[in-house]
Amino acid sequence: MIPRAAPTVAAPGAAPPSGRQERRTTVTAYLFLAPALAFLAVFFFLPLAQVIYYSFTDFNLYAAEWVGPANYQALVQDPLFWLSVRKSFVYLIATPILIVSSLTLAIIVNRPLRGMPFFRAMYFMPAVISAVAIGMIFELVFADQGLLNGILRQLGLIDRAVPFLQDPALVLPSIMGVTIWRGVGYYMVMFLAGLQSIPKELYEAAAIDGAHPLQQHWYITVPSVRPIIVLVGVLSSIAALRAFDEIFILTSGTGGILNSGLTAMFYLYRQAFVFNNVGYASAIAVVFSLIIIVFTAINLRIGGTGER
Amino acid sequence: MNARRWRKGLGTSGWYLLLIAVMLVTAIPFLWAALMSVRETSASPFPRNRPAQIVPYAGLIGWGDGASEARATGEYRGEGGWWTDYGPANRERLEGSALQPYTFAATTENYVRVAQDIPIGRYFLNSLAVAVGSVLLTLLLCSLAAYPLAKLRFKGRDVLFLIVLSTLVFPEQLILIPLYVMAVNVFNFQDSYHGLILPFAASGLGIFLLRQVYYSIPNELIEAARIDGATEFGIWWRILLPLIRPGLATLAIITFVSSWNNFLWPLLMLTDTNAFTLPVGLSYLRGFFSGSLRTVAAGIVIATVPVIVVFMAFQRQFIQGLAGAVKG
Repeated sequence: MIPRAAPTVAAPGAAPPSGRQERRTTVTAYLFLAPALAFLAVFFFLPLAQVIYYSFTDFNLYAAEWVGPANYQALVQDPLFWLSVRKSFVYLIATPILIVSSLTLAIIVNRPLRGMPFFRAMYFMPAVISAVAIGMIFELVFADQGLLNGILRQLGLIDRAVPFLQDPALVLPSIMGVTIWRGVGYYMVMFLAGLQSIPKELYEAAAIDGAHPLQQHWYITVPSVRPIIVLVGVLSSIAALRAFDEIFILTSGTGGILNSGLTAMFYLYRQAFVFNNVGYASAIAVVFSLIIIVFTAINLRIGGTGER
Repeated sequence: MNARRWRKGLGTSGWYLLLIAVMLVTAIPFLWAALMSVRETSASPFPRNRPAQIVPYAGLIGWGDGASEARATGEYRGEGGWWTDYGPANRERLEGSALQPYTFAATTENYVRVAQDIPIGRYFLNSLAVAVGSVLLTLLLCSLAAYPLAKLRFKGRDVLFLIVLSTLVFPEQLILIPLYVMAVNVFNFQDSYHGLILPFAASGLGIFLLRQVYYSIPNELIEAARIDGATEFGIWWRILLPLIRPGLATLAIITFVSSWNNFLWPLLMLTDTNAFTLPVGLSYLRGFFSGSLRTVAAGIVIATVPVIVVFMAFQRQFIQGLAGAVKG
C-alpha cells in the first residue's frame, strides 16, 4: 500500500554516486513518511472509498447488499433530507455574525492596556471547554427557571417563561447562539494574529489625513486581515455545517421537537446509528460532503486567496 | 493639560467597562452553572415579584452519607460521612441585613451525589489518558512525515504532499460511517483507549503545520550535520526536533484540546460505563439525573474547573500557539 522507493539494491557497480545518493534520499524520505501514510491509508483513504461503496448498498452493519443508486433516488425524494440540508444552511447565518463580532473583539483587545492578556484569556476560554459541557451549561441558562428567563422576568419583559428549547421556532436560533458564543474568542485570537502584523505607521498616516478611527479600521484593518477573514469564514462555516455536539445535548439526542434541530449532520447520525440504515446514511454523507466541498470552493473563490 | 489627562483617563476606564461587560457575557454562564450546583432546592432562584437569590452562604456542608440526618439534627459525625448544617446560624446572622433577600443556603450535597453515582474521577483519567496518547502519537507521526516533505528532495514529493493536503478537504462525517464499521467489525476498538487514539492520530493539518515550521530552519544547518556524518534520523532527532519545539507545542495544544473535547466518536465507541471519557460521562450523567439540573450542574463544575485551571496556567501558550498557527 505504501509506495516503496525504486529497488534499494543498486544495479551492480554501474550507478553513478549522485544517482545512488538520490535513491538513498528517496528511501529515507519514504521511511520518514511511512508511518503517517499508513495511518492515513487505513483510517482515511480506505474509509473514503468504502463510504462510496456503502452508499450503493443496503447495509445494516453486518451484511451489505448491492442496490445500485436506490439510496440516492430515495434521498432525492426524502423531504426530511432536504429539510435537514436547509437547516444546515440556516445554521450558516452564524458565520457572518462570528466574523464581524470576533474581528470587532480582536480590534478591542489589540489595544495596549494593562491586564489585556487576562481579558483575552477570558474571552478565549469557552474554546477549550467541551461543547458537551457548554451545551449542558446553556441548558441551565435556557431552562424555564434558568438565567435567561429569570433575567427577562425580573426586567418585566415577559410574563411566562420563553420555551427556548421547546418552541420549534426557537430551537435552532438558541443552539446557534451557543455556537456563536463559543466561537467568538477562538476566532478573535486568529484575527489578533493578523492585526498585530499590520504596521502602526498606516494608522498614523491615516490619522494625519484626518480619518476617523472607524474609517481607519474600514480602510486599513479590514483589507489587511482579508486573508484571515477568508480563513475564519471557511473554518467557521465548515464548523457550522458539521455542528453536532451542541445540537445533541440541547435537544436531548432527539433532534428537537418536530425535527426543529435536525441538521444534515444530525440526520446522518440518526439514520446511521439510531436506525441502522448505514447504506442510506452513507449516501447522505456523500451528498452532503459534496455540498460542503462545493460551498467551500465557492467561498475561497469569492475570498480570492487562491495561491498565486 | 489637566483636562486632556482627564479625558484620557475617562477613555481608558470606558475601555475597561467595555472589556468587563464582554467578560461578563463569557463568564456568567459558567458562574450560573456553579451557582446552580450548590443550590439545595429545585425552586426557581427567581421568585415572582421578589429579588433573585444569587448570593450563596454556607448551608449544609459535608461529604459522604448522613446529609439528611444532619439536616434534622444540625450535625452528623458518622463512619460514612461528616456533615454540619451552618444554615440556621448564618440565616440568623443575615436577618434584617439589606443583602438578605438575595441570599440562599449553599450545599455540597449535589457534588456528593455526583461522586456517589458515577465514577467521575475515572472519567477524568480516561480523558487524560486518551488526550496524552493522542498528543504523543500525533506529534511523532506528523513530525516524522513533515520533515522529508519540507527538507528532502525525492521523487513523488509533490504528489504525496497533495495527498496529505486532500485530507483537509473532505469533511470528517464522510468517513465516520466506514470508520465505525471498521472499528467494530475489524479492530474491536470498543471500550479501549487505542480505539479513541489511533483513528485520528495522523493529521493532515498537523503535517501541514509542521512542514511550515521546518521550512524556517536554514538548510545550511542540515548540510553541515550531514557533512559531519550524521544520519538522517540523527539529524531529525538531535537537531531538528529541538528547533521546532514551538511548532510542536502548538500542535500538542490543538491535538490535546480536540481530543479532550471529542464527543461523537467516543459516544459511538464506548459502551462500558467505566470506559467513558468526560464528555460522554457528562452526557450520561445528564440522562441519569434527568430532572435534577443541580446535580448535572455539579458534574459540569467538576469536569470544567480543571480545564479552566490548566488553561489559565498555560493561556499564553494556548493563545500564541493558535495565533502562530494562523500566521504560518
